[in-house]
Amino acid sequence: MVTLLNENYHVCTGCALLCDDIEVVTGSGRITEVKTACRKGVARMKGCSEPMSPTVDGQEVDIDNAIGAAAGILSNARSPLVFGLGNSTNMAQKKAIELAKRIGAVIDDTSSFCQGPTLEAIFNENIRSTTLDDVRNKADVIVYWGADASNSHPRHFSKYSYFPRGQERQRGWEEDRIMITIDIRRSHTAKISGDKFYQIPLQADAEFIDALIDALSGKVPKVSFGFDIKRILELANILKKARFGTIFVGLGLVYSIDNMDPVVKLMDKLNEMSNFHLIPMVGHYNMRGFNQNLFNETGYLNRVKFEKGDSTDVQHGAEFSIVETLNNKAADAALVIGSDPLSSLPRVIAEHLLNIPVITIDPCETFTSRKAKVTIPSALSGVECGGSAIRMDGVEVKFEPIIETNRPPDEEILTRIMEAL
Amino acid sequence: MEFGKFLAAPEYKVTIVTYRDIFQSAVMEGSRFSEEYLKLSAVIRMDAGDIKKLGVKEGDTAVVRNDSGKVIVRVGSSGYDASHQGIAYMPNSPWSNVLLSADTGGSGVPRYKGIEAVVSSAKGESVTGVDGFLENTMKH
Ligand code: SF4
Repeated sequence: MVTLLNENYHVCTGCALLCDDIEVVTGSGRITEVKTACRKGVARMKGCSEPMSPTVDGQEVDIDNAIGAAAGILSNARSPLVFGLGNSTNMAQKKAIELAKRIGAVIDDTSSFCQGPTLEAIFNENIRSTTLDDVRNKADVIVYWGADASNSHPRHFSKYSYFPRGQERQRGWEEDRIMITIDIRRSHTAKISGDKFYQIPLQADAEFIDALIDALSGKVPKVSFGFDIKRILELANILKKARFGTIFVGLGLVYSIDNMDPVVKLMDKLNEMSNFHLIPMVGHYNMRGFNQNLFNETGYLNRVKFEKGDSTDVQHGAEFSIVETLNNKAADAALVIGSDPLSSLPRVIAEHLLNIPVITIDPCETFTSRKAKVTIPSALSGVECGGSAIRMDGVEVKFEPIIETNRPPDEEILTRIMEAL
Repeated sequence: MEFGKFLAAPEYKVTIVTYRDIFQSAVMEGSRFSEEYLKLSAVIRMDAGDIKKLGVKEGDTAVVRNDSGKVIVRVGSSGYDASHQGIAYMPNSPWSNVLLSADTGGSGVPRYKGIEAVVSSAKGESVTGVDGFLENTMKH
């Protein structure tokens, strides 16, 4: 558990780095200035320009009516879908899982089409992970693989991985740390790596991993694309000598492989000769929390279907992913919490949401909310409501509200929907 | 009558890789309906040589389409020194998502980083607006 270093510090919920050193200035019920956060964090904490209102069928109503209408839709649904929750607190997520059980819903989150496989391997202890605090204090070799932290988690380098001094890394990036980037393009992150950037072709990650394993095993590596073999040997040599290595896995790698086997194989090989860990670059601030909470409850981290009235009957599989559920037109109502599938999913798949009643719970208007039957505004985590969340490395972070609002937190809305069922 | 009208605009096949951009993500926190979000999202970043082949300039509009859908976005340069002919980049956004296939082979994971599409000039046409996404279909 993270304890804030300074009582004036707040936590940013802009991404799963959950930076815990944010100072703010408030005035007339709003945050007017945000210090220390990155661009995205500042924008998140200042709030959006299109706050959501409670509506039913596009008409503004009071929140009680919106909650009543939501309960009505979910009671009548034969196969409801509950989706989102990456921007909700742990307590709200647990409530949503309880609700999904009550109504016999499919429940899924964005991990289903992003970092799910990585987290699954970590939860099942197939891959060794570590904390960001240990990375800051000990890591001498860090690898960004298919990850562009400069754009996805802008303070990753400065707070934990590359730039800071740490207990065993008193000389920081200048002498004590090596940063490697493996990617298909020279991203901003790749530029920071300088000559330790390894550019590989699209979809070539598995082949590159094989070559790297060969090099680590003392064999001559081979690849079918043009690549200087000496550089693969040089990379293997750096990894071999690492005293505390960490690979940060981004979507570039996850999307390029069919399953985690190549990564598990590489990690096993690395750990025969050095000391390596892996941390997924989780996006939404509490996606990992949702995965952990559902895993604790069911043994699965996403893509779950509960049988109505039978809390022990849990099904799991790709057919219960949001993508296949919508593809198969298998949902007849959807409850979307803190997410915008109409914007983040393939359009042809998300279009099914336009044919079924959708309820959105969110602080702000989204593409999905503009087409929803019921919208229920909620408090913005970390700014308007407190709670706890799981950072990308599995560490729990607690936060308090900074400003007051009359919009209820997700958890309260979900509790009230359950009461009204 | 303009003779050029009868000549089909050159089409160019690309594989699109989506990526995240901090400026676009920050603007999205403020409003995903804003002009600024559209400006930072509705863009395809191409190899300088490919842009020439299309017969367009940076800032011109282009149609990007495949069996899944069609969007009009602005053409930008990727800014990479190394040539990457045939590979184009789009920020992850509703605009790039129009081009994603529903077929995931049952895996539940769309192919966000390897979208096959065709690009051609859309001179004079404007970028697909946010309202397009609120319509019932974007398959044209
Ligand atoms: S890196 Fe993430 S958590 Fe830190 S300030 Fe930026 S958005 Fe917030």
